[in-house]
Amino acid sequence: MFNRVKTGAFAALAMAIATASAFAADKKLTIGVADALTGGGAVYGLPQANAVRMAADEINTAGGIKVGSDTYKIDVIAYDDKANPTEATNAVRKLIDRDGVKYILGFCCSGSTSAVASFIGNEKAVMLVGNAAERSITTKKIPNLVRTRPPADFTGQAAGTFIARKGHKRIAVIGALDVGFYAQYVDSVERELKKVGSEIIAREVFTLRDRDMTPQLTKIRALNPDAILVVGYVESAAFVYRQAVELGMNIPRYGFTSGSEEQFLRVTTSAQMEGVWDLRPTELDLLSASKNGIAYHANYTKKYNASPSPSSPYAYDQLYVLKAAIEAAGTVDDTVAVAKAIRALAIPPQVVMQYQPVDGKMFDVNGQAYTSNGAFQWQKGKWVFVEDLPSDAKAYSQFLSTLN
Amino acid sequence: MKRTLTLLAWLVAFATLAMLPQLLTIKYYLHLSILALIWVIMAQGQNLIQGYTGYVSIVGAGFMGIGAYSSTLLGIHFHLPTWATIAMAPLVTALFALATGYPSLRVKGHYFAIVTLAFNLIIVIVLVNYKELTNGETGISNIPKPWGGSRDAYFYLVLILAACLTLLAALIARSRVGEILLAIRQNEDLVGSIGIAAWKYKLFAFVTSAMYAGLAGALYAHFQGFINPEIFGVAQSLDAILAVILGGSGTIAGPVIGAFLVVFLPELLRFADSFRLILYGLILVLATIFMPIGIVGICKTLIARLSRKGLRHGA
Repeated sequence: MFNRVKTGAFAALAMAIATASAFAADKKLTIGVADALTGGGAVYGLPQANAVRMAADEINTAGGIKVGSDTYKIDVIAYDDKANPTEATNAVRKLIDRDGVKYILGFCCSGSTSAVASFIGNEKAVMLVGNAAERSITTKKIPNLVRTRPPADFTGQAAGTFIARKGHKRIAVIGALDVGFYAQYVDSVERELKKVGSEIIAREVFTLRDRDMTPQLTKIRALNPDAILVVGYVESAAFVYRQAVELGMNIPRYGFTSGSEEQFLRVTTSAQMEGVWDLRPTELDLLSASKNGIAYHANYTKKYNASPSPSSPYAYDQLYVLKAAIEAAGTVDDTVAVAKAIRALAIPPQVVMQYQPVDGKMFDVNGQAYTSNGAFQWQKGKWVFVEDLPSDAKAYSQFLSTLN
Repeated sequence: MKRTLTLLAWLVAFATLAMLPQLLTIKYYLHLSILALIWVIMAQGQNLIQGYTGYVSIVGAGFMGIGAYSSTLLGIHFHLPTWATIAMAPLVTALFALATGYPSLRVKGHYFAIVTLAFNLIIVIVLVNYKELTNGETGISNIPKPWGGSRDAYFYLVLILAACLTLLAALIARSRVGEILLAIRQNEDLVGSIGIAAWKYKLFAFVTSAMYAGLAGALYAHFQGFINPEIFGVAQSLDAILAVILGGSGTIAGPVIGAFLVVFLPELLRFADSFRLILYGLILVLATIFMPIGIVGICKTLIARLSRKGLRHGA
């Protein structure tokens, strides 16, 4: 009897030790996501949050993040910021102050991102910005902030060259021009158009909540332009494309939206979209995608039963960047060391977007990454990658460094 | 006796709030408390025009924006100290309120609400489009924060200001001016018929309310360090109206309770993920339908019932 009890006790003790050592080896690293999960910005924010969760699952399945003898499994907390500056500040304060998070990802929208960027420099945290395209986010030289998406005017310059090459002389712009980065994109396009004697003949504005753009389009139609350029969130842009066809405007349509096929087809038909150009960073597109991109598309679609938005890999890539930087820095606690390691990183092999390195590194001195830019055209129900748009990341990086 | 108890309740509330920086180990709640106190100032101003005078103004956030931008821009362009710009913000806002209040107050009821709504839209449009001055939708970053951004110190600043302005609102409400404002709410024609120039009092309430909002805006700007036009949209004006209704319209404690509710409630509902705003909206709708007199009104009714019961039992 006594022997049986003794054997049982030893077995229990051995199990307890084994379990404890297993737990000791697997630590938890909590990553925060602050993004627009509801409201108008959710078309970008929700896929970004999904992408971070998917990357976390992949990293955990592959063994986690290795720091010395420790292995960290990633846990993701995502909060909605509604793309609103006050909400974003509250969400990030909650992540840092209450949840003890040191690494914050996501950030699809510029206003909310700028609000957080204004104080993140004073925090022991690292901020990785995704889809938010406002240029000034990376002009302030904040050491613990990096961005995976290039600023809008970097793409606008390439888009302007492309439109000018098509020979259009009079272009009408319709867009969310009260949003800073859209205006910056159009300004860059205009600079390139002027070089070949072309001009922008109208700048019609809609707000992000507008759905009836026929008054602006009617006014544009009366000016008889050679082409229109549409800049705005996916839904609003889709309404413009649809209403332009309904008004009988049979002219080339260019855009800067980064919407998926699924997102456009919620508003418009494939026939109404036929021939539309999207001049944007070479984001996720099956025809232009690398092996990683194709795998990302398949995994995302399987996991969430929906296609990923083209810009969602900006957030997916953030987590692989963070993993590589933490492993290089050899610490999860020292955020200064991790932030430095991020700036020193070469492009990690797992990323989906096709980044252009600057001096061999993924991020330049401003903390800005650059992807190539591409011309995509809607053909028979799909975005088709047609060609690369020439873009000089190094030259733009030097220009960005001169701004405050 | 009743007055002593009320005073005691206020002192206990103030003392509890004053201890918050020591009590709260998680600074996120202190951050929300600072925002809530800024909203107390905003809601007390809103209460003067909405609760006491009976005119529902939908331009509160617009005036908050004028205060925020004027304090920030005065600091940037004239290199004035932050204290001076915060103090000047309500005065600048008052000038705008005078200009908008005179035409707005010529109409009543729903028409007044619509006119003020239009003013809020105009303010946002100007802030978005006058890029040379406001930097448009991109907003203004790195706005100086007093005391190197110390949240504890800023908390005490806004607590003292919120307390002083609540006291000022109480003094106005109990003065002859307050009585006339209440009379305007009850029957404006009657007020006019006894020889009182009601428009002067309405304008006073409107401009004072705007000054409260202007100060709240300046405090917000120097607390957050970032402003853009989106923060001062109509949705925020509606939040100010809701704060007054939820807490208790035409009471002094009501806006205080309502302000804490509109700041804390959406944050406490974060557990509900994407259903958060649906839940928030539902709570607000139900509260407005079933508690039209607000939390303070319900508390007063309950206390009155209980004391009546007590008297009956005592007899």
